[in-house]
Amino acid sequence: MEAFAEIKPGKRYLTRIYLGIMLWFVGRAVQAAAKVDKEVAKEFENMPDEYTFCLGAFPNGPYMIVGKDAIGRVRYKGGNPDKHDIHLEMGLKSLGNLFTMFTFRESTPVANARDRLFVCGDVPNACACVRVLDIVQVYLLPKPIAKLAIKRYPRWSFKRHTLDRALVLIRTLIGF
Amino acid sequence: MYIPDYFEFCCRVKIVAGHDGLEQIPSLLTAMGSSAPMILTDKGVRAAGLVDVVETALGGNLTIPTIEDDVPPDSDLNVVHRLADVYREKGCDAIIAVGGGSVLDTAKGINILVSEDSDNLMEFTGAGALKRPLRPLIAVPTTAGTGSEVTLVAVIADHANNRKMLFTSYFLLPDAAVVDPRMTLTLPPHITAATAMDAMAHSVESTVMMSKNPLSDAHAREAMTLISKHLVSVIKNPSDKDGRLALATAATMAGIAFSNAMVGMVHAIGHSVGSVCHVPHGTCMAILLPYGLEYNLHKAEDRIADLLLPLAGPEAVVSTPADKRAQAAIDWIREFNKELNQITSGRHATRFKDLKGHDGTPMVPKDKLPEIAATAMGDGAIFYNPEDMDYEDFLMVTEAAWEGVPLDPTRIKKG
Ligand SMILES: [Fe+2]
Repeated sequence: MEAFAEIKPGKRYLTRIYLGIMLWFVGRAVQAAAKVDKEVAKEFENMPDEYTFCLGAFPNGPYMIVGKDAIGRVRYKGGNPDKHDIHLEMGLKSLGNLFTMFTFRESTPVANARDRLFVCGDVPNACACVRVLDIVQVYLLPKPIAKLAIKRYPRWSFKRHTLDRALVLIRTLIGF
Repeated sequence: MYIPDYFEFCCRVKIVAGHDGLEQIPSLLTAMGSSAPMILTDKGVRAAGLVDVVETALGGNLTIPTIEDDVPPDSDLNVVHRLADVYREKGCDAIIAVGGGSVLDTAKGINILVSEDSDNLMEFTGAGALKRPLRPLIAVPTTAGTGSEVTLVAVIADHANNRKMLFTSYFLLPDAAVVDPRMTLTLPPHITAATAMDAMAHSVESTVMMSKNPLSDAHAREAMTLISKHLVSVIKNPSDKDGRLALATAATMAGIAFSNAMVGMVHAIGHSVGSVCHVPHGTCMAILLPYGLEYNLHKAEDRIADLLLPLAGPEAVVSTPADKRAQAAIDWIREFNKELNQITSGRHATRFKDLKGHDGTPMVPKDKLPEIAATAMGDGAIFYNPEDMDYEDFLMVTEAAWEGVPLDPTRIKKG
């Protein structure tokens, strides 16, 4: 029966590891960008204190959770949504959908247009979170890849593209 | 023809359309095992005599335990709770919602409470909170525009806490939509024009969005054809029953298209002008529609060019070179608005600047434009728009629509 080996769903270890790392990066980069980038800081300022959102794959993860703490600082809060009060959930409907998105074969807006994204929470803050994630992707990714991930590559100042980007990357890696 | 790698489409509302649509309601209810429907409507619809038309059409075939018309222009949590109690007290087993979006949203709210035997609507907010079918609900739209008879959302305001609650579920779709031209026969010309342009915006926007697909396109394109063929003649001859049926059918088709392929920036800005300045939705749609196409032109030129056929007909397509068709479609919509303006004696506005309230003051003062742009930033419709928009972009489009001038192509950021 070798030719008909049993398919075991939900055990795609390598995919999960890859996505876990990507989400970790994105989560820490949001925290970093909130300190470095004025636009990101402003988006978070408009959200209520302790506002927390998660991004990941339904139903079993992986996830990343980012939110404001009691004194309004933006923190990466790890990967376990059960440990937090989540105000906004953004999930791809399957692990495979998230993998397609994080391997840049389908941009976030296209995934959304194809009904692969599930958003649960208030709409204005969801819009703000999407804008934050777009900015973070521009910081993290080289231009040709970022262009595959977002709708419109922004025209930033030279400083934002170089110095601010370096600061975001360093802060993401070190985590402060 | 654009076919996405993957798409979803769902419309499970039975459409009952025609000059004797209302007469089918008793048999629709019988088939669902109901015999005591509540008629839900608002005071305006009742004053226009439309509930009488419905009652006459039902004949003696149904007992109507109660007709409730105390529904405010935007549906309210307290009203929903109160009317759910009435539903139970009077022993109703179905709802016939005769009216526009807020009547139907209220009906959906009541239906959740009575079907789930709950007294707290808050338990069911958001997406996916409903797990099973609700009691029978029949929608009878009284404008040919919103398409809410085929949409799966309900928006109910919680005025005490100053917020709007969104309910999304396939179980919120009415069991049947009865599209009968007698319901729109008495609409005044400028409202006929504005509501039809809402339907036009649904169909046009849905064909340009990233989430479009062949099934949504089929509904949208036919809706455009029907509106462009019949709107002017219906306004000139309001009692044209066949034309009214065509427009009402188009509105339902456009509703099916946009509830599957979604809408974009025209609705994002339109909702915002509506909430900041209280401009009727259809009016906003008519004014903003050409701008929505102009702004997305570089991303969706082919899709916009494809609109010329359903809008302007085959002769226009043949006589326009392929690379000019997208612009021609945009121009056609501007001209259509101008014609509607003329035949409604100026009541169909073509720019925000011209809108006046009852007391003659401007409805959209220029100093409100920044607030409109900021509010639009929080509207989910922008997710589906082909091109992205930031605050500056929203402000630029709103300013142009206020002044009534085309967008300056050099100011559209192209990434
Ligand atoms: Fe609309």
